[in-house]
Parts: sequence; structure tokens; C-alpha cells
Amino acid sequence: MSTVLRVKDVTMQFGGVVAIDNLSMHVDEGEIVALIGPNGAGKTTAFNCITGVYEPTNGEIAFGDCIIARSHPTGKMKKLYAGAHADKYLGARVRLSPDKITRLGIARTFQNIRLFKSQTAFENVLIATHLRRTSNPFTATLHINAAEERRMRERAMEMLETVGLADSAGELATSLPYGQQRRLEIARALATQPKLLLLDEPAAGMNPQETDELGAFIREIKDRFQLTVFMIEHHMNLVMDISDRIYVIDFGRQIAEGAPAEVRDNPAVIAAYLGVDEE
Amino acid sequence: MKKSTKAAVGTLLVAALFAGVWLAERLAGANSMLVTVLEKGAIYALIAVSMNLLNGFTGLFSLGQAGFMLVGAYTYAIFTIPAARRMAVYQYYQGGIVQFELPCLLAIVLAGVVAAAFAALVGLPVLRLKSDYLAIATLGFAEIIRAVIQYDKLGPLTNGSNLLKTYPTFDTALFPFAVAGVCIAVILMLIHSTYGRACKAIRDDEIAAEAMGINLFRHKLLSFVISSFFAGVGGALLAMYQGTVQANAFKSSMTYEILLIVVIGGMGSVTGSVLASFLFIACSEWWLRFLDVETFIGTVQVPLLRSGFRMVVFSVVIMAVVLFYRRGIMGDREFSLDAIARAFSGKKRKGARAK
Amino acid sequence: MFDRILPYLLAGISVGGQYALIAVGYTMVYGILRLINFAHGDIFTAAGFFMVYFAAAMPLYVAAPLVVVATVLLGFVVERVAYKPLRSAPRMSIMISAIGVSYLLQNLMWYVTGGLAKQYPVLPWISEQITIGPASTKMATVVTPVITVLLVVALVMLIKHTKIGMAMRAVSRDFETAQLMGIKINSVISMTFVIGSFLAAIGSMLYFSNYTTVTPTIGAMPGLKAFVAAVFGGIGSIPGAVIGAMLIGICENVIKAVGYTTFSDAFTFALLIVVLVFKPTGLFGEKTSEKV
Repeated sequence: MSTVLRVKDVTMQFGGVVAIDNLSMHVDEGEIVALIGPNGAGKTTAFNCITGVYEPTNGEIAFGDCIIARSHPTGKMKKLYAGAHADKYLGARVRLSPDKITRLGIARTFQNIRLFKSQTAFENVLIATHLRRTSNPFTATLHINAAEERRMRERAMEMLETVGLADSAGELATSLPYGQQRRLEIARALATQPKLLLLDEPAAGMNPQETDELGAFIREIKDRFQLTVFMIEHHMNLVMDISDRIYVIDFGRQIAEGAPAEVRDNPAVIAAYLGVDEE
Repeated sequence: MKKSTKAAVGTLLVAALFAGVWLAERLAGANSMLVTVLEKGAIYALIAVSMNLLNGFTGLFSLGQAGFMLVGAYTYAIFTIPAARRMAVYQYYQGGIVQFELPCLLAIVLAGVVAAAFAALVGLPVLRLKSDYLAIATLGFAEIIRAVIQYDKLGPLTNGSNLLKTYPTFDTALFPFAVAGVCIAVILMLIHSTYGRACKAIRDDEIAAEAMGINLFRHKLLSFVISSFFAGVGGALLAMYQGTVQANAFKSSMTYEILLIVVIGGMGSVTGSVLASFLFIACSEWWLRFLDVETFIGTVQVPLLRSGFRMVVFSVVIMAVVLFYRRGIMGDREFSLDAIARAFSGKKRKGARAK
Repeated sequence: MFDRILPYLLAGISVGGQYALIAVGYTMVYGILRLINFAHGDIFTAAGFFMVYFAAAMPLYVAAPLVVVATVLLGFVVERVAYKPLRSAPRMSIMISAIGVSYLLQNLMWYVTGGLAKQYPVLPWISEQITIGPASTKMATVVTPVITVLLVVALVMLIKHTKIGMAMRAVSRDFETAQLMGIKINSVISMTFVIGSFLAAIGSMLYFSNYTTVTPTIGAMPGLKAFVAAVFGGIGSIPGAVIGAMLIGICENVIKAVGYTTFSDAFTFALLIVVLVFKPTGLFGEKTSEKV
């Protein structure tokens, strides 16, 4: 099995605040890996580094053979830097923009849903087919690309069907119930034809039944589209149920890694979640 | 509605529109207020739609429209003044350096191209920044270009601060209607293409759009350059309408007026912009004229009515729209044959918008 | 050479000071509301007209304070009527509203004055002609930088050391959190407009003492330049706005001195584009990043 995503020694520091501290993770092809940790542990920040929204202060992130981010502290950060390995990633910095990273094959959903507000569910998914276009502004405007346009529409509809929202295609995206909005975000991510899917709290706001269904659904799309899945999630049942491996982070640092059963019994994890009596 | 019937009805409507304009011109006379409003309204419609493409559909707050119109107007005028008349127009610059003339339509296209080239020049550095800066940078660009065009040393090309005149104009309102019509149709087709959808995505949520693989900078630049192209074409038409061009007329207040037209029509509605343009021009040139005239009823002077009152009333109305009727006439909806057909048949499209 | 440049340099510092007084209004409003207050230049013009009309009706020592009061009131009313109702609207709507206000004020002033340029009254002392070395100039030229610095220092003290100042800093840092902490957002915003308009009123007295005629659109250009100054200095930073304004004022006049008067306006905007390209946060601005 080859490694799809490799995060090496990544530190993300905002001014003096260290959000991620020397974090290394990897996700192998075909895996479902979960990233868990208490609120404010730095999980979404890690996703934002992987998807190019943030530039890590230090460290390297690779997608397959392609380095998508590589950085070391510069400028003001040189003095402020509080992480490790400050000398390991000197040399040319690499920072691919989020759109390039998506085009390489990493798609994501957002913790605080970010659908295109003024557009229908169908249009939301249709937009995500834009990146695989072959037309240019001229051919598209003059509708010379009719065949491609048709393919895009078919693909968008197919994705809506996949997540079970075909009936709501014409609804305004933001008028959908919360759970459906989350699924619409997944449909949108799938329409970009990713190899790696990052899900940021896909079950947030769902009831227990919906959460169960979500677990089966994630497995299903993983098999159907030959995906690798990396997800942040708080619902422990879901995490334990579908993950192959779990990373646990707290205060930006990795505190445990392993199969669900190992992680569940790890004292450090229990301490992080329940808090330790320090007196 | 079926595609073929739609096409037929559409063609019929366009034909009817042109016939109407032609008839109006015959009946009301070429110098009537009605024809003025039709001509200027068509030109402003194009410019407003071009601005809406940026502000309404891509979510970029740009205030450079007057600058790009100026570039278009000058490009058109410079390249179409008949060679024989150049000595008279460029009297302080020995007839200027351009000693040939282009056909009218070609010059209009060139006006758009030059404006688009300037837009690329401004957009390349600025579009990577937050959109507030775009507003002020484009406003600044419009001021720079206005100063540069009047620069003495450029006189042989631009005639300095003197008027450009005696270039070919149009003699029927059908001409601006046809040019503006074609341009607006192209903009509409762009908006309905996959690129237009990408622009709307950027407007709604830049971060999500980027996560969908949309290159923000490239699409913003595309929208900016295309918008400026059509502003340039609009500028050329305005030059034809006015008969003379002088850089000082293209002040930032002109941009503000166009922006307000877009707001009144509804940000994100092409038909709204078109409608609002005609309304705006009709009100300011024609229907509200009486407010500027001192009027007496018997011997009593009607209070407030005197020169300038029209614009005060006008701007109060605009403020009311901006504050209380923010979605404008059309919101982000469009006036389309489908919509009318639905209204008539009483059927609601499945999942029609709630609002 | 110096003899020839000196008058321009003096004029530059003076104009720079006047721009600075306007720029502070821009930068404070932007810092708190993220709004480019396009109407600010017109409030500056209105202050000019207030003086024209008030001075014709009453003695100057009554008129001058009244001008300040009227301008402050205008700024306050504009905020309450045109910006406050749009607090939760998209930011573009508020900027459009600002443009609408600018349009309205200009048209209103045109209507009231009949579109004619008005002569600004001669203010005692600051309109007096004085001679510095080889240059002859008005007292206003010399006084402006001093007044500017005094006012700005006072303002910085106010922001650093008073309760309302602390509230302003909190609101500009994080609007929503400040609100949750029980800061009365509306009074803070009103205060910002009051201060901005107050400075614009003082600025207009100094400016028009030098330029002597007031027209309805005269404030648009200094207004825009002041905004550029604010961006140049780093928007949101008060000392930045002052330094930016001074630099722009001086550069502009030096350009006039070397004979490129046509380009003195264009220069300001070219500078803006250069700054935006190389240092978008300006000289003293802070970097902000959007939360995902």
C-alpha cells in the first residue's frame, strides 16, 4: 500500500501561539483515518495546512510524490518560532494554492458549512466540476463545449444521487436541513474527483440515526470511488466504527496513534478527554 | 417551454423591440427626448451590465468603470477621425501622429481591446489583494488615466486637454441598440457558462470556491478584463452619442452613477441593470426635468423648484433604494421567457426559489 | 535650488497636515467598520460651506465653533441614517450606501449654492501672510503641521488611556467579541464618526484658508488622497495615516515644483498601486487573515 498523504514535522504558529506543534502523520491508500482531539486541539488547522489555506510555519506536506507545502520559519517568525526542527526544511519554500491542491486530488468539506448561498443544490455541485474543464472562456461562452457542459451536468446529478439529494436538486442550498447540507458538501467534494477526501466533522449536528447512516455512507463512497478518507470527528461511535487508524492530538501535539481499540484504552487519550486532576 | 418555441418567441421579441425603436424614432423625431433616452439608455445598459458582471456576479467591488469608458471613448475617437479633418482637430499638435482612420465597427472593437489591456495591467497587481483595495485602486486608476490623457506631451495622440470631435457618429437609435444588444447577449452567455458559475461561486464564498479547485486570481482577472472590454465598448458608444469627447467628463461621479444603476436594478441581475438604466436615464434626462424649472402657480412660486433640485430628489430616491430596498428592482432574478411562461401557466418550477 | 523648493516644501507639509486630519477619519472608520467612508470628503466640503454661510450671518468667533458642531452633527447623522441600518448587511452594501451619501451631499450642496464657487471667509491670524526666509506664505501653512500633531497626539492619548478609547480598540480588533463583552457598539461607532468629522472640520478651516474657494465637489479629491494616505500608512493605524499624508503632501508639491503639475494627482494613485503591490498592509498596518 502506498502512502497518499504524508505530514512531516509540521508546526503552525500564529504569532506566538502554537496551534500545531511538530505534527507528523501519514495516510495510506484506501484507509479511513480519523483525527480526533478535544476542542481547540488544532485539528481543523491541520486540515487547513493540508489544503493550502494556511502555510505551515515549519515542516513538509506531501501528497503522493508531490510536495504541496514545505516551509521553514522566516522573517519575524525566526525569533518567535517555538517549535522543533527549525533547520530541517531550509531551502526553497513550496506552497501550492488551495485550488491547485484540489486539482491534484484532495477535496474537503468544512466544519462550519460553506455552501454557495445564492445557488441551488445542483448548482453547488455543478461548480465543483469546473476544475476538470477542457473548455476556455471563449468556447464556453459561445457554447461550443456543449458536450462537456452536458457531461458536467450529468456528473453533478450523479453526485447528488450518490448522496441521496437528487430530489432536492432545485432547492436553494441553504434552505436544506442541516444534515442534508453536510451531505451536499460531500457531494460537492466528490464532484472534484478526488483521491483523498478530507471530512471536517461530517456528523456534527446529526442525530444518532443519521450518524449511523453516515458511517455506512462513508464506507460506500470510499469503495465506489476508490477513495482514501481522512476525517475529523467527535462522535466516538462513528470514529471507532469506521476508522482503520486514529490520530489523537491535544494542544497541537500528537498524543496517540493506532487502531481504534488501542487508542480507546490509551491513558493519555483518556486524560486529554476527561482532564487530569493536577493537584 | 420547448427550446424551439423559446427561440422563436425570443427572436420575435427582439424583432418587435427593434421595430418599436424604429417606430419611436419615426414618430417622435430623431431629436426628441424619447430618442435621447433610448440611445443613452441602451449605452448605459451595456455599461451597467458590464459593471454588474464584476460587482454583482463576481463580487468584486470595482470603481474603475469611468476610467475604462474613457479609454474606450478616446480609442474610438482617435482612430476614427477622418484623416482630412485631423489638422483642424489637432490644431495645436500639427494634426497629431495618427494619420489613418479605421472603420467604425473595428474601432469599437479596438476600444474594447485597449480598455481590456489596461484592465489586465491594473488587475495583475491588484486582484491578488482584498477586494476593498480593488475599489480604491480602480478609482485611482481612473484618476490617473484622466490625468495622463490630458498630459501635454501626449497631445499628438490624445489632443491633450482639447476636445476630440468630427469622428463618425450614429444617426439612428438602432445602432446603439444593436451593439449593446449583442454585447449584453455575450455577457449573458458568459454568465450562463461554466466560467460564469465559477464567478458566482467566488462571489458567494471565496474560500469554498478555492477549495473546489477554482483559481481565484485567474477568474477574477477574467471577469475584470471582460467587464472592462465592454466598458470600453460602452465608452466608444458614448463618444458616438455625444459627438465630442473630453477626458474631464469621465469623473468618478460617473462611475458612482453607474454603480447606483446596478444597485437599483439589482446586483446579480442583467435584466435589472438594463431596466434600471432606462429608468435612470429617463428620470434624470426627462421625467424629472420639471424639478429644475422655477414654476409659478398663479403668482405663487412653487417652493424648492430650481436648478439642481432634480438631482437632490434623485439622490434621495437612490438612498431610499439603497437603504430600504436593498435587493433593487430584480434582486438576483432574471426576466426570462421561462419565468413569464411559468407565471402564465401558474405552474411553479420544482424547487423554485423561496424568495 | 533650496530657495526655489522651499515654498513647495512648506506647502507640502501644510497640505500633508490637512490630508492627515481627513485621513485619520478614514482610517478610524475603516479600522472599526471595515468601511471606506466615501462620504468623508464631502463632509469636509460641507464644513467649508458651513463656514461660508455661518460667517456671513454672525461673527467669526461664534461661527467657527458652530461650524465644528454642525460638521460633527452631520457626520453623526450620516452614520445613524445611512450606515447603522446596514450593520448586518454585506460589506459591499455599506460602501454603496457611502457612495450614495456622497452623491446626495454633492447634489445637495450644488442645489444650495446654485453650483457657484463660494469665497471662503478670511480667518483672522491664520489667513495672514508671513515670510519665512525667501518664501512668503500664509500663517495656515505654518500652523497646520503644529495643529495636526497636537490633535493627533491628543487623539492617540484618548485612544490609549480612556475607556471609550479602549472600547474602540476592542471593537476594531474583534467586532463580535467586543459586542459580547458588553461594549455598546453603536456609541463606539458614533464616537468614531464624531472624532473623524471633528478633525475634518478643523482640516477644512486650514485647507480653505489656503485655497479660498469652496465648490460642491472640491472635497472629493483631497478625500480620496487622504484615503490613499491611510492605506499607505497602513489602514487602521493613526500615526501611519499622519505620516502617509505628510509624505503624499510633500511628494505632490515637489512634483509640482519640478514642473509636472498634471501628474501630481496621478502620482498619488500610482503610489497607491505601488504600495498595494509591494506592501499591501502599508507602512504600519497589521496582517489579518480570514478564519476558516
